[in-house]
Amino acid sequence: MKRNLKRIISGICAVILYVSAFVSVSAENGKVTYSGYSGTFVFEPGSEHSPTDLFPNFKDVMPGDTISQRITVKNEASNDVKVKIYLRSLGATEEIKEFLSKLSLKVENVEDKVMFNSSAEQTDGLTDWVCLGLLYSGGETDLDVTLSVPASLDNSYSSQIGYIDWEFKIEEFPVEDSDPSPSTSDSRFAPLIASVLAAACVLLIPLLVLLRKKRNAEEEEQ
Amino acid sequence: MKRLRLLAIVFAAVIATFSSQGSLAYYSAVGKATNVVTSGEISLLIHEKTASGEDFPKEGVYVKPGDPVEKIVTVENICGHPFYLRVKLVDGVCDDFLSSEDCIGVDINTEYWTEKDGYYYYNDILTPGSSTEPVFSQVQMNGENIGNEYLGKNLTLTISAYAVQSENNPAENPWDAAGWPDSEVPN
Repeated sequence: MKRNLKRIISGICAVILYVSAFVSVSAENGKVTYSGYSGTFVFEPGSEHSPTDLFPNFKDVMPGDTISQRITVKNEASNDVKVKIYLRSLGATEEIKEFLSKLSLKVENVEDKVMFNSSAEQTDGLTDWVCLGLLYSGGETDLDVTLSVPASLDNSYSSQIGYIDWEFKIEEFPVEDSDPSPSTSDSRFAPLIASVLAAACVLLIPLLVLLRKKRNAEEEEQ
Repeated sequence: MKRLRLLAIVFAAVIATFSSQGSLAYYSAVGKATNVVTSGEISLLIHEKTASGEDFPKEGVYVKPGDPVEKIVTVENICGHPFYLRVKLVDGVCDDFLSSEDCIGVDINTEYWTEKDGYYYYNDILTPGSSTEPVFSQVQMNGENIGNEYLGKNLTLTISAYAVQSENNPAENPWDAAGWPDSEVPN
């Protein structure tokens, strides 16, 4: 009896886990993370078609669909730098432009400013670098992407794949005293820099004193 | 003396460099994301079974006029999208001795299928992974029209199924839905 009960509970738990996993996947956000010193970006979640795919919601789309995709851009560099993050579109790969040309894409930032509003194969307002904002360590900003598929799309466009290349660029700047971010120290190099500074000061002061004494001695001799 | 001055300058330079390093740092990096959009599709499978649940023989069966043949026809949704469904039944004979309508009769399941303009429309939306109720379950040769002179002839019954997405495609009746594919079999 107890064994059966355990089995049933285990089964229910497995089903709940499976369903919750599916729900979280189906509502997944795209994520761009700048990790700092390595100078690299991490793009998530990726897909079977591209490891850097930021459009998990734009799969298996059907005529008449209007689908939204949120992309979170985050700065995870250490807290002594602030970064400006830029985005530009390189457009679609030449061979599959036909499919994407039938779809409409809109990209808005958190202030609802439209950065791109055109057929999906174009580069439109993202032809040149567009600044997404200045982010301090841990800071993030969102992009809302909306894909519209016309109801008139016919069978010749079923089971198609379209690739849209986006480039992200960062510029790192040191955090200033006037910046709202409180941290001004480098967690990794601070002890080393402090040691070198202290050593230099300790050596410089007696050196200056020695120089002064020598100069005075020379003046007295003259 | 000169050496001491040089040393002092070096230390002063070290202090200046490390004090100001925070305001001189400047890095940049570029990363490329290849984003992917894929379109879906509608796909279905027609199942033809015998009364015992086995696949109906592809080579056909021998029948005598008046003998009922158990042939249960259903359609399965094998894609990730719900759809409206219709089927068309086209009879044929190996030569033109008879029109097929005169020789083959089927017991259409009118509880779930509705005839309209030569098609049988499934009354419900067929959801992913599910199958329809049988279109029909029995085929019978019309004994009145088939005599001994038709011994050895081949009679055929072709079933074609057509589907159109129900997402973003509201319709009061299945036949009112937009986007039905064209028929590829003769009327």
